[in-house]
Amino acid sequence: MAQTKLQPDMEFVRELQAAGGDSLKKCFQCATCSVACPMSPANNPYPRKEMVWASWGLKDKLEKDIDIWLCHNCGNCADLCPRGARPADMMAAARNMVYKDLMKPSIIGKWMSSAKGLPFLFAIPAVLWLFVWWIMSLVNGGQWFPRAEDGRIVFGQIFYGDYTIDPIFMITFFGALFIILKGAMKLWQQLKPEGTLLLIGKDQPWYYHLYDLVLDEILLHKKFADCKSGPATGVKTPQRQLSHMLLFYSFCILAFVTAVVAGGHWLGKIWPAIAVHTPLPFFNPIKLAANLGAVMLLVGLGMLTVRRIRLNPKYQSSSFQDWYLLGLIWCIGLTGVLAQSFRLMDFAPPAFFIYYLHLVFVWMLFAYLPWSKLGHLVYRTTALIFARKYGRG
Amino acid sequence: MASRIGVYFDQQNIGGGLDCEALAAMVKTKWGVLTPVVKVYPVLAEAVADIQADITANELNGVLICGPTPRLDWEIYQFGAAVQVERVNMQEHVVHACADLEQLPKVAADYVNMGVVKLQKSEIPDSAAFETVKRVLVVGGGWTGLTAALEASKTGYEVVLVEKTAALGGKALNMPRTSPLQAPWRDMTNSGLEAKLAEVSADSNITVYTEASIAKMEGQPGDFTCTIATSGRAVEVKVGSAVLATGWTPLDNKYLESMGLGKLQGVTHMAAFAKTMLGGTVPAKRVAFVLDTTMAEEMAAALAASAEAAPAEAPAGEKAKEELEETGFVKQDLESLRHLRYSNAVNSVAAMRLANLLCEQKEDAVQVFILYKDMTIPGILERFYKEMQNRLGIMMTKCDVTDIREENDHLVVECKNTLLGMDFDLDVDTVVLPTGIVPTTAKEAVMQFSYRQGPDFPDLDLFDGFSDSNYICFPYETRRTGVYAAGCVRQPMTMDQCAEDACGAVLKAVQCIEAADHGVAVHPRSGDTSYPVFNFVRCTQCKRCTEECPFGALDDDEKGTPKPNPARCRRCGTCFGACPERVISFANYNIDQIGSMIREVEVPKDFRVFGPRILILACENDAYPALDMAAMRNKPWSPYVRIIPVRCLGSINAIWVSDAMSKGYDGVMLMGCKYGDDYQCHFIKGSEICNRRKENIAETLNRLGVEPERVEQFELAIDEYDKVPAMIDGFVEHITRMGPNPFKGM
Repeated sequence: MAQTKLQPDMEFVRELQAAGGDSLKKCFQCATCSVACPMSPANNPYPRKEMVWASWGLKDKLEKDIDIWLCHNCGNCADLCPRGARPADMMAAARNMVYKDLMKPSIIGKWMSSAKGLPFLFAIPAVLWLFVWWIMSLVNGGQWFPRAEDGRIVFGQIFYGDYTIDPIFMITFFGALFIILKGAMKLWQQLKPEGTLLLIGKDQPWYYHLYDLVLDEILLHKKFADCKSGPATGVKTPQRQLSHMLLFYSFCILAFVTAVVAGGHWLGKIWPAIAVHTPLPFFNPIKLAANLGAVMLLVGLGMLTVRRIRLNPKYQSSSFQDWYLLGLIWCIGLTGVLAQSFRLMDFAPPAFFIYYLHLVFVWMLFAYLPWSKLGHLVYRTTALIFARKYGRG
Repeated sequence: MASRIGVYFDQQNIGGGLDCEALAAMVKTKWGVLTPVVKVYPVLAEAVADIQADITANELNGVLICGPTPRLDWEIYQFGAAVQVERVNMQEHVVHACADLEQLPKVAADYVNMGVVKLQKSEIPDSAAFETVKRVLVVGGGWTGLTAALEASKTGYEVVLVEKTAALGGKALNMPRTSPLQAPWRDMTNSGLEAKLAEVSADSNITVYTEASIAKMEGQPGDFTCTIATSGRAVEVKVGSAVLATGWTPLDNKYLESMGLGKLQGVTHMAAFAKTMLGGTVPAKRVAFVLDTTMAEEMAAALAASAEAAPAEAPAGEKAKEELEETGFVKQDLESLRHLRYSNAVNSVAAMRLANLLCEQKEDAVQVFILYKDMTIPGILERFYKEMQNRLGIMMTKCDVTDIREENDHLVVECKNTLLGMDFDLDVDTVVLPTGIVPTTAKEAVMQFSYRQGPDFPDLDLFDGFSDSNYICFPYETRRTGVYAAGCVRQPMTMDQCAEDACGAVLKAVQCIEAADHGVAVHPRSGDTSYPVFNFVRCTQCKRCTEECPFGALDDDEKGTPKPNPARCRRCGTCFGACPERVISFANYNIDQIGSMIREVEVPKDFRVFGPRILILACENDAYPALDMAAMRNKPWSPYVRIIPVRCLGSINAIWVSDAMSKGYDGVMLMGCKYGDDYQCHFIKGSEICNRRKENIAETLNRLGVEPERVEQFELAIDEYDKVPAMIDGFVEHITRMGPNPFKGM
């Protein structure tokens, strides 16, 4: 009797190993991990089955698996694994593979999956902003480091908001947003099982579940707390809930502030009543919020970075994607601060150069969103909505 | 015969509640000149010098220590070869076991008196020592045999190595790499066979016969005469003991026919596949190692069912009959599919090894599937397994393999119930099935013993021809003393285990030669100087002893007169348990001695007032320690029982039961080890034989008008001390309900 022919994809296994799942071959299927996981449902639990799919190179099975998104990476499974396999890392690696393979152009996904791709990722915005710089230097009479009439350093002379920064970033941001939302829809389709799906009970639209999800899980990061409710493993795991929450809320605040400022600027041109003019005074609520967001970002980022540095490689390790994201946010923050400092110290060449770098990094953050770990903002949310809608987890 | 006995009480170990002085006075009065010294010491272990002085001053030739169980402190009370030492288990079996303080003095007196009689009826055995041949015969020149030969030679013994084929090396010659042979037990390794072969050929202590087999093995440990048939001639060699390392042959392909072996192109088995890998890389890119052999088992079951339906063909039976008449012996071919099941662990390790080797040879451009039902990795090789599984190209799952078929130019393996959560088919180029390890001893009588009981190892119907030990605690021992099995002829095993086995078997072989040299038993009663002595005048040549000896120690002449071989004997006493004429005895363990002890117990006439008396004959290997432990753990039992240890329930002679009944005992408990498939007897079938003999005893009792229910056998494992009180008290109650023995007081 003919049944499914299994075609192991060894190349996929190699990639998965490189993406953080290097220990996956150590699994001997005892399922201690599935028992150790505080979140795993009793019905067809994870990550035992994901480990064997990974070992057998079943790319389709793994990338279309809802359970890799239910995992919140507490590492209990790895702490208790009798073989030193690290299922949590493998689940993270599987998510990395989704970031890599989900959307085209796939070359970006490939670049994002190892340090080897970093020069290319960097080169694109570097050339782009260098081109802008060159053009604007011509506008400024051939000066690469111009000064304003009063002698101040004004970045706007080179990177003029209305004509360079804003259009480029708006195109980038909305382009990335478009791609990632398309990605979310694709993910939704591939999470659906093959054949017909029979739903028993009341069906609710996706936005109902999104609302539910935000209220029930995301606001308080409830799943991170659930992660800690697993069996005691004797392995010390650093705090994750607070640091992730700090970072998450700082992103929310900064996004809001940016939206208000950008919206005020552009819409203000049409409707002057709501115009926002920068620089804002220090005690303006928007300015206060922006500064609070910046502090929270630094604290959260610091905590998460320390956590990653302190991870015991026996139980958990960090993939390139993990460090890429943390590193990029650090670079954005540092170049921002440094550019400001050099400007105030009146060193024009370093000030302009670092500001240039700042723009490169910010662009990287937005442009590569659909292929980076930060994409989980949308992809994981999508998967969790799916899980709520169809009852899993 | 101990005629002057010193009796010593070890108060420290007897404990409170018992008046030792009164007991000592009783002994003095009762035994008079037989016991010139009777002393009570607070701490006897500190008075060893006093005892020695008493021995010299009073010319004592027997010492009776009343103290803790004889299993303790035995090394303290040794007074030279001329002084016999006997122990009364006053602590465990009397003080701890007897909860009734009123009965305690009576119980104690009975035990002391039994001790005195036991010594009185015991003699120092004549030495059975003789000059032994310090040469070890190693049969089989494979990995195990070679290791054994080298080990024996290093120990200083001469070695005769007999190999069936033209070249040494055996199955190890066909292995490209082996599982690890030493720490850290992680990687595949070269076996180092060439070095081993060179070492053997360079060793002047080792004489090698190739293309040779054993034609005849006669004599006894320390003095075997082995006839070796080699290239048309016979060589006679004297050897002291032998290591059996004849290995295995692969299971016939027909058993795996339903899985395609021998039928489908590309289906092979583990050993054959290893051999092809030895010749270079194999072309296959996709290989499935199928360890689940349910398909073959199902076919075998179906065949067995159809064979049962149709009666067996007569001609085969007739041929065997003819052979039996001609030579007196027919070797039953024990090869079966069960050998495949036993070989699962070795095949599991082999699959991991070959799969990895394949990945290595092809630089990971290969897909290897390991489909198992039970992945069994023995012991420390778990480390090897860990290392081997951690390879990109190896994919494993537990599953049911339900079909193997051809499709176009490749094979398809059908898998169900997999760990992947789905059923699927796999396209592969090669399917590797496990190799069944069939021990040579399943197919032929390798050692060709010239023994009364036949040329082969007696089969227990338990091991399907594997020459495994008769007792789980004693590896290497076969049921022929002086022949020690090692390697795959004993159990399917990996090469590291084979090497370890070889060392172990050599140690046993050496120990055996030395034990015979000293005239003592080698095992399990190591160091026992006694051996069975026959009073041939009264022997009726009934052959029961020669037939029932579990180790074939006794040969006989044409008339049937038994011919003892002390060095083959393990001193269990099964022979004297069997002898209806009671012509067999050990100097320090005999029919009269135990009979006298039984009669020495004071059996009160009035059953109602003074209670019943029940004799317990307890196997000293399992039941006796269990009784000790029960007593130590404060689980007392009825004060109406008297316990006499026996070497084995197989040594119980019916006369003892008659003795007890005529003395007026109301019941007899025969307390021995478990029997059946998971038997625990140190002497193979002692308790089973006893159970069989009990039926004869019952008949005799019936004739005498005594209810046979008064004699019962109980199975007690060494760790079942918790069952002791219920077992004993239950029987006492049963006897109390039955009422007194009709012979009481006659």
